[in-house]
This record gives sequence, structure tokens and C-alpha cells, in this order.
Amino acid sequence: MIHSVDTIMSLVLLSVLLSYGYSRLPRLIIVVGFQGIVVSMVPFFIGHEMTAGGIVFTIATLLIRGIIIPMSIYIAIKKKAIQRKVAPIVGYQASILFGLGLIVAATYISRQLNIPSISDYTLLFPTAIALLVTGMFLLMTRRNAIAMVLGYIIMENGIYLVGTTFSIRARHIVEFGILLDVLAGVMIMTIILQNIKRTFDDVDTAHLRTLKE
Amino acid sequence: MVEIVFLIPFITGVMAFFLPKEIGRLSLVSTGAVHLILSLLLWKNRPEAIFNNYFAVTPEGLLSLIVISLLFFLISIYTVGYLKESDIQTENIFTGFMLLFLSTMTMVTLSVHIMVMWIAIEATTIASAPLILTHRSSASLEATWKYVLICSVGIAMALLGSIFITLSMDIGNVDAPLSFSALTLVAKRLDPMWLKAGFVFILVGYGTKMGLAPMHTWLPDAHSEAPSPASALLSGVLLNCAYLGIFKTNKIMHVAGLDDFSGTILIVFGLMSILAAATFILKQNEYKRMLAYSSIENMGIIAVGTGIGGIAAYGAMICMIHHSLIKSSLFLSSGNILLGYGNRFIENTGDMVNRMPKTFVAFFAGFAGISGFPPFGIFIGEMFIIAGAFRAGHYIIASIFILSLCVIFAGFANQTMKISFDDFDGNGSDKLMGLKERASMVWPQYILLLTSLVLCFYMPDTLYQTIIDAVTAIGGGVK
Repeated sequence: MIHSVDTIMSLVLLSVLLSYGYSRLPRLIIVVGFQGIVVSMVPFFIGHEMTAGGIVFTIATLLIRGIIIPMSIYIAIKKKAIQRKVAPIVGYQASILFGLGLIVAATYISRQLNIPSISDYTLLFPTAIALLVTGMFLLMTRRNAIAMVLGYIIMENGIYLVGTTFSIRARHIVEFGILLDVLAGVMIMTIILQNIKRTFDDVDTAHLRTLKE
Repeated sequence: MVEIVFLIPFITGVMAFFLPKEIGRLSLVSTGAVHLILSLLLWKNRPEAIFNNYFAVTPEGLLSLIVISLLFFLISIYTVGYLKESDIQTENIFTGFMLLFLSTMTMVTLSVHIMVMWIAIEATTIASAPLILTHRSSASLEATWKYVLICSVGIAMALLGSIFITLSMDIGNVDAPLSFSALTLVAKRLDPMWLKAGFVFILVGYGTKMGLAPMHTWLPDAHSEAPSPASALLSGVLLNCAYLGIFKTNKIMHVAGLDDFSGTILIVFGLMSILAAATFILKQNEYKRMLAYSSIENMGIIAVGTGIGGIAAYGAMICMIHHSLIKSSLFLSSGNILLGYGNRFIENTGDMVNRMPKTFVAFFAGFAGISGFPPFGIFIGEMFIIAGAFRAGHYIIASIFILSLCVIFAGFANQTMKISFDDFDGNGSDKLMGLKERASMVWPQYILLLTSLVLCFYMPDTLYQTIIDAVTAIGGGVK
């Protein structure tokens, strides 16, 4: 029987592959928002006991990750007329190929490791690894600063998945930490972005190459 | 009431955003003074915290706390003079975030819960990023962007590492609170594989923040672009806070009997940092970046010392304290140089010995101290580390270590001589006459250096005992 968590994970994996291929920011933002919603739903299906506070907290996470953050980034690029291209350093085909290879490798690695708390779910660990590496990959290979922020959010989605499912210990404080991380990280990055935009009239990080050694 | 130590700067920090700037300056100094008094009381009484699952007074935390507190107080006095001389537009924001930064760093030193510690270290990034952005030039934008991005990714790695440690508890069937002290007690029963994985991720994560190579790339930019008082705080205490996270995890590794593994990794990262600093310091043309690379070097030294263990671990602690004292004094002096010459390049400075004699004394003494000359403490710390390396039979490590120190000394000496004694033709030298060396802008450096000097000859028993308590937990000591 396919567990419902695995069904969710297949959706996440789909969003991972899509994020490699999109060349325009609005679509990438939608994918990241979708991913945020789906990932935040996992605690409901994982079978740990949920307290009332836990449910409220998870819903709040879902709203922030899935709707508020993507929406605010979307509005920001609309308002400020920011360049829509993600300006890749590695091409889209090569990126997608990398993504496919990554998922295969992640599945292989997760077979080798035996983690009791998630042994029921075949796709959970591969997806978490895929999210982490994908986020890093986008951070490194996209020059558009907003695409980099989105990469960071994807990475945080991966950590959220690990944090909420691997261990039930201190789960709320982990969730709280991750939420703080995303909120603060994105907030600060957006403030800096506005400054970058004002100074260079663009958010291409190729401008940020003066400080060396 | 341990928590009050970080709550006070938090409250005054938030208030400083809304107050007029004169009161903001005053609150900076007065909060520094109150914080210092509270830290001394904490040192003496060592009380229990209210939320004792999350916060507690530990020896290594106390050491960092007292350094932070003393440094912040002296830096705040300097800052008042600095703010009068420099033209910072958004002074409220600057003082506010300085205080918030103090609050978050204090929280790091007092937290014992793995996740709370992580949250506190994350919060230091948030509180310090606006400080680097203060000048709002394109270079400071770039530095802040790099800082936030690289450190956020690093901190995310550390979170992953912390989660792995909780996993090692699950697999080992251990039921204990998620605090460093509780985990140390049950360390032997934790699953070694996940514990190792957790340590590696935590080392990479907090190591990014500490400035270990190859994750150090944000550090020279951030330190050189931030206003000098903020650079002094970043270098003097923020790096220690990140080190504290690694130190506490290393403690678990030591009790679990995995210190060979953790020690080797620490030594490798430490040596890489020292080598990276040696490579870049030689041809450095900006003096603040030079100081930043020297911080990377010292963090490498501390990591190597911790990794070797034994008396080297004691040496690492000594190095950490004295590096904070001396390096922050150097950054403050560099602020005077920047205000005096209006330029961050070494080639556009010179003849400091005649033009700014008081700053010269502070800068030159700081240079001697940081390069490991005898009357200052880093000398003793490095001696302990080298002796520890030889005693443990790490001859190659010791020789790489000594060689790199020589190279760094050569580079540092060369640049310092240029700044101090080279002819300065002074195109636009009117500006240079602009800087009066106010007492508040040289005395903090003198006091910092003097403290380092005094600690070399006379170390109070309580301080000595606290250092020993801290390093015994990772298998160090002076025996």
C-alpha cells in the first residue's frame, strides 16, 4: 500500500524537478509556494499525536510558507519591476539532468541508512535530501538574487521535512526555529534586495563582484 | 534570574530605535555598564535560571560572557566618540542593533539547550546584518548580502546537525532533555554514526559563522565594510559565540569517546584556516581586511588547539580570551585610522607615528600582541598549543602551524610598518588634521591591551579555575 505521505512526497519531487527548469521568476515563486504548502501538510499525515497547539502551529506554518512569503515576493517583483529572468550559470537542460541524477542518488543513499522513525515511508528521506541539494544548487547557479532567496527557501523546506519527521523530540521548538529562520532570513534578504535594486537598478548578483580576497 | 542579562540589552535596544540619538548614545554606554555589573554578579553567584531547561551558567559560557561584557562596555565608550566624528545617517538604527546584537550574543553564552543555542546564534546574524549595512554603499551592500546568505546557509547546516543529534538519541533509545549538559551525561549511549554526522554538520554550520576556511569568504568583507565598533564586536565576540557551539558539541563527542574523530576534523579545518590567512594576508592592501584575515588565523589556531586537546585545549582558551581583547582594540584603532586618513587602503596611509601618536601606540602594541609577542597573552596560548602538539606527537601539524605563523607575522609586520612609518605625502591632508584623538577613542584600546598584559602575569584564581573547568570537559588541562 502506498502511504499518503509518499503521495505527498511525489508531489514535492515534482516541484523539485520543475524548479530546475523554470526560467521565469513568477512561475518559480508559484512552485516554491506550492512546495511550501505541501511540505507543511506532512505533520498531519505522519501519524505523530497532534495537540491542539500543534495543529494551530502547523496551520500557521502552512500559511506563512505556502502563501505569505511567496505572495510578498511576488508582489515585490511586480511593484519594483524587477527582472523576471533567473539568469542561470548552468543551463536548464543540464539543471534538470542534475535534478534527475540527484533524485536517483538520494534514493540510493537513503536505502543504505536505516532510520527507524521513517522506515514506513519510502520517499521521505530521498525527498528531503533532494530538497536540500536543490536549494543549494539554485543558490549557487542562479545569479538573480530573488532566485537565490527562493533556493534558500527550498533548502529550508528540506530541513523542515527532516526536522518534523526524523524525531518527535522537541518538535515544536524545532518547528519554531525553522519558522524563525525562514521569516527572518527572507525578511532581511528582501530588505537588502531593495537596497541592491535601488543602488544598481537590477538584482543580478553579477554586480556584486567588487570585494575579493 | 539569569535571563535578565540578555533581556536588559534587548529592551534598551528596542527603545533606542525610537529615542533621540543623544539618549541612544547614553543608553549604549549605560547598558554596557549595567551588563558588565550583572555579568560580574553572575560570575560570582552562579545562580539558577528560571527556564533551567534552556538556560544555565556554564564555565565556558561564563568565560565568553565576561569577555563580551567587558568588550562591549569599552567599545560602547569608543562608539560615542566615533559617532561624533563619523557621519552615520541612521544612528538610531545603529545603536539599537548594537544593543540587540549584545542581547543575542549574551543569549548564546547562556543557552544550554541545543535548539535554543541554535536560535540564539541565528538571531546574532539577524541583529548584526544591519550593522554591516550601516554605510549603505554598494560595497557594504555586497558584504551584507554575502554575510546573510552564507551564514544563513551555514546556520541551516547546523540545524540539520542538531536534528541528527536528536536522531542519535532516538536510535540509541535514550530519554533525556535536549540540553548539552544532559546529553553529555548520556553521551556513551548515543548512536555513534548519527552523532558523528551531527558533529560534522554542526562544525560546518557554526564553523561558517566562526570564519573557518573554506567557509570564511564572508568574513573579510563583513569586517571591513562594517563601521569599526561593529567590526570590533564581530571579530572580538561573535566568532567566540559560534566557537562556543562547536565547543559544547565537542564536549559530547569527548565523553562519547569519539574525540579522535572530532579532533582530527577540527585540526584539519583549523590548519586550512591558518593557511588561508597566511596566503591572503601577504598581499593585502586594505588594513581592515588584513585584521579580518588575522581573525581567521586566530580562529584556526583555536580550532587546532581544541582538536589536539590536553594542554593545547587550555592554550586555545587562553588564545580565545586574548584574541578578543587584542583584536577588538586593533579594530577600534583601525577606526581612528579610517577617520584620520579617510581611506581604507594601506598605500594611502603612512607616518601614523607622527600624525596620530596615541593611535599608533595602540595599533602597534596590538600588532605585537596579535602576532604572539611575549608580554601579551597570545604568546602563552600559542606556546601551550605548540607544546601540546609536540607532546601528542603531531610533528607535521606543529611545523605547518609554526611556519604559517611566521608567514602571517611577516605579512602583518610589513603592512603595519607601512602604515606607521612610511612617508605620507598627504594629498588632501587637511582632512587628516580633522581627527583629534579624543580620550574616549584611545583609552578603550589601552585598557583592552592592558587587560591582556595583566592577565599574562597575574591571572585571578577564579578565572584560572573557570578555564580549567571548561577545558577539563573536553579532555584538556595543564597537567
